[in-house]
Amino acid sequence: MMQVAMEEARAPSGCSSTTTTIDDHIMYAWTDWEPVVADDWGPFSAALTDDFHDLIDSMIHADHIFDDSPAGDLFSLTQTPSYDSSPRSMTIGDSVPVEADVNAACYGGGGDKGLRLVHLLVAAAEALAGPHKSPELARVILVRLKELVAQAAGGGTSIERLAAHFTDALQGLLDTGAHAHLGGRSSVRDGHRSADALTAFQLLQDMSPYIKFGHFTANQAILEETLGDRRVHIVDYDIAEGVQWASLMQALVSRPGGQPPPHLRITTVSRGGSRAMQETGRRLAAFAASLGQPFSFSQCRLDADERFRPASVKVVKGETVVMNCVLHPTMSAIRRGSAASVTSFLSGAAVLGAKVVTLVEEPEEEEEEERGFVGRFMGELHRYSAVWDSLEAGFPMQERARGLVEKVILGPRIAGAVGRAYQEAKEGEREGGWGEWMAAMGFGRVRISCFNHSQAKLLLGLFNDGYKVEEDGCNKLVLAWKTRRLLSASVWKPLPPATPPCPTSPIVPVGILALEGSDFFQD
Amino acid sequence: MTFRGPDPDLSPSHHHQHHLLDWLDDSMPFLSTFLDDTYTGEAANEITSYEWWTQEENQANMNNNASLDATPIFNTFASSNNSQLLPQAELSKKRKQSTSQTTPNKTAAPQIWQRIAGETGNEGDRLLEEEGEVNKKMVVTGRKAQGKGNAGSSNGGSKEARWAEQLLNPCAAAIEAANVSRVQHLFCVLQELQSFTGDANHRLAAHGLRTLANHFPFAGIGMPAAPATFATTEPKLFRSAIIKFHEVSPWFAFPNAVANASILQTLSFDPSPRTRSLHVVDIGVSHGIQWPTLLDALARRPCGAPPLVRLTVAVSAVPPGPFSAAPPGYDFRSHLLRYAKSIDLNLQIDRVDDISPGSLALTGGEILVICAQFRAGHGSPNDRTAFLRSVRELNPDLVVLSDIEGSSSGEVGFPAGFARRAELMWRFLDSTSAAFKGRDCAERRLVEGEAARILETPAEAEAEARERWRERMDAVGFREEPLGEEVIDSGRSLLRKYDSNWEMRASPAEAVVALGWKGQPVSFCSLWKPHRRS
Repeated sequence: MMQVAMEEARAPSGCSSTTTTIDDHIMYAWTDWEPVVADDWGPFSAALTDDFHDLIDSMIHADHIFDDSPAGDLFSLTQTPSYDSSPRSMTIGDSVPVEADVNAACYGGGGDKGLRLVHLLVAAAEALAGPHKSPELARVILVRLKELVAQAAGGGTSIERLAAHFTDALQGLLDTGAHAHLGGRSSVRDGHRSADALTAFQLLQDMSPYIKFGHFTANQAILEETLGDRRVHIVDYDIAEGVQWASLMQALVSRPGGQPPPHLRITTVSRGGSRAMQETGRRLAAFAASLGQPFSFSQCRLDADERFRPASVKVVKGETVVMNCVLHPTMSAIRRGSAASVTSFLSGAAVLGAKVVTLVEEPEEEEEEERGFVGRFMGELHRYSAVWDSLEAGFPMQERARGLVEKVILGPRIAGAVGRAYQEAKEGEREGGWGEWMAAMGFGRVRISCFNHSQAKLLLGLFNDGYKVEEDGCNKLVLAWKTRRLLSASVWKPLPPATPPCPTSPIVPVGILALEGSDFFQD
Repeated sequence: MTFRGPDPDLSPSHHHQHHLLDWLDDSMPFLSTFLDDTYTGEAANEITSYEWWTQEENQANMNNNASLDATPIFNTFASSNNSQLLPQAELSKKRKQSTSQTTPNKTAAPQIWQRIAGETGNEGDRLLEEEGEVNKKMVVTGRKAQGKGNAGSSNGGSKEARWAEQLLNPCAAAIEAANVSRVQHLFCVLQELQSFTGDANHRLAAHGLRTLANHFPFAGIGMPAAPATFATTEPKLFRSAIIKFHEVSPWFAFPNAVANASILQTLSFDPSPRTRSLHVVDIGVSHGIQWPTLLDALARRPCGAPPLVRLTVAVSAVPPGPFSAAPPGYDFRSHLLRYAKSIDLNLQIDRVDDISPGSLALTGGEILVICAQFRAGHGSPNDRTAFLRSVRELNPDLVVLSDIEGSSSGEVGFPAGFARRAELMWRFLDSTSAAFKGRDCAERRLVEGEAARILETPAEAEAEARERWRERMDAVGFREEPLGEEVIDSGRSLLRKYDSNWEMRASPAEAVVALGWKGQPVSFCSLWKPHRRS
């Protein structure tokens, strides 16, 4: 039985219905895949050391741009020193005389394509939803953007691929308006999910702490809060591929003291029982069986209006209820009413008597003033350029691997994030993240343990130097790339604790990180 | 990427720490949304070609007998038999008819005109009768009668579709505010979208970017290469460009035709017993192209051609402006003299630098017409008044004043002025695109490159509303001379040959005929005579 489940779990990765053009053999484990990326090595594939994050910063602090003008020669085009390091993709700006072919010139000659793309993206966003809407102008700019990123489909430079995703996101808004846009493409994503998604997730996990940071921090908090409990019931909002729970299972079976692992039940809360959801359940069941982890899996559907009804979750007496909420702005997650949906889910924590609520979300920009769509759009551009940067810094040669991750995971998130920005700006929705909302609603903060914090630092130590972990209050850890916040994980209790929170955390000697090397993907 | 400034002190005034979000704060005054109007390159139907010019050289050796045969050139002019008043080159060949005018008296003209008006439908007559109506609204000419032009032409050029101005105008505002980052941003976007060979919006982006980059060289960007202008091009291309442009666009052809018809009308109303000589002082931008049709009509007057036709070209009598320059080596005089000879007209052409009576060598007994077309408005208001005063001192029999129609009131300041010039430029580019049916060619780029000088017009030389001109003319001692119905009809019939988005507002009572594109004013043509002391 277990074997059958495992076979079924593996079946989708056989690429039969894959929507990408990535070769079959990269669908497997990192180790199998490594030789493929090695093909990308070549004399000219030196690291793109350019930093998109800095690039956009340079737009914000425009004095930098201005200052770059060659002294005493304002009429000639500026040099672009930082792009000189990218021999593959950029023709480096020789100073072009004023009356030269302007098509090749924007600030730094033809080489500075990244900046041109960013300017166009921001202009398109402004034309689309700025104070003076001009769909015609937006359309013209997007046409130009598509010309410029046309080669991205065949593996353009990183920033071209980033710009291509943002261009697609804006085009979606322009074509159909935000609502139709957000509702329209979940089937595409489901297609990815069954085949490429696991590969992409694994690649992303191996390339960046982006995924594991949230999972590990949440899981560690769950482990600490459920220590000694015999039945743990996790109610998970949008379980996605279930990767998070594989690592939790490994931790549970490895608890010190030889005590048997608690029974783990996972109820996934989603919009409908999709095939992908069943596969996730089967895969998790197979993995649990391989570890000897008692496990059961059930699904709970949201109402037609995307709201969560706590009564639809069966809670067995004596089990510890944990609610987990990982919010990524994918298309399906950001559809209309998602804010109400998340609200209903988090509000259900008290009804279900959850002991702890873990929340992983993308931090809101810290802006005092009300931001319009363009400001929010810039924020997303910042955030994802930082993600791009971080991946590129760690794995400069693996263009194909990054391309798959971008296409399968990050692209849909960009589309969702842009759609969310549009919707929130349009409806004047809340500023600030869900954490702020939970604090305002009376959720209590559960202190992040020293161990959890240390573990996060250890995790980051496995990757590039640019990653940082920051504390934001006692109950939140934030993953940042350089100065840009990528992701936050926070831990809450549904009711304000009678005594001040943040008790001395129990030491859990076997942390999540120790279990690195999960064979969840490979078995 | 970071930009590190090599010399922060280079231009301290542009060192504001502009946050990107500041860009959004600089919003341009926005334009209400009209019905969607997608630009189409479709132009009007076929237009009489200007074969006379290009073939003239080949015809130069032909004798007069031959020239009266139905060669292509004179085929065109043969149609002028049906009226002594019309600038005939523009008339449709279909109107060719054999009946020649034989009654050499003043009443002949109206009769001819009525017949032609009958040919072209009753609409014109009806509208002319309802003067009140005519004064209030554009009389749309030709569209209904002939059903040509763009199908969606009723939606007068929606501002929504004019995306280039939505980048250029905020850029002008940012320049005014010295918001460097915003300017650089918009320059960069404009650079991506500009093209001298794309559609009208792309072209406006290109010309506008050039102008703005000249105003703001601190942005450190390259600007589009300078397009050719009249002064910098080759005479051959110049000539073919102005001919082609007159052929496909009424921008100048229409005021030229109205002027010619007005001159002929003045002649026909001349009370002297024998035909007097005619002296036309050309202060215009037609570079000679206006005159063959007038000469032809003069030669075919039933009462006989004037004994002498003097054409005095006064290029530098007023400050230069768009379309006033010609390339070195271009000279239309020989062409025109040859042509006059071929039609047995006694023509004398002079060039003068100013319009003092001495320079013009005025002689008593000639009918003096000052033809100031698209030139009088290039200087400052004082220049304009001074020019008109010098015209008044000549005591001409007729002054034809045509110019770009400006707005009567407007915000001052660079952004507002630039926006008005950009809008005029848009009308030029949009109508020229329609004229060329969307096709690119060297001739089109040349006239557009020359028109782009509109954008560089200094604020003091901005186009004025014709009311302002009226005040000025009145002040120096001119009175309005009503345009005859014949003149208006000739304009109307001419306009039918062009894109149906062209409109004319003809109001005899107002003594002005206005030309408009998609419901927006482009130019006016008015007639003036000196006040008679009573």
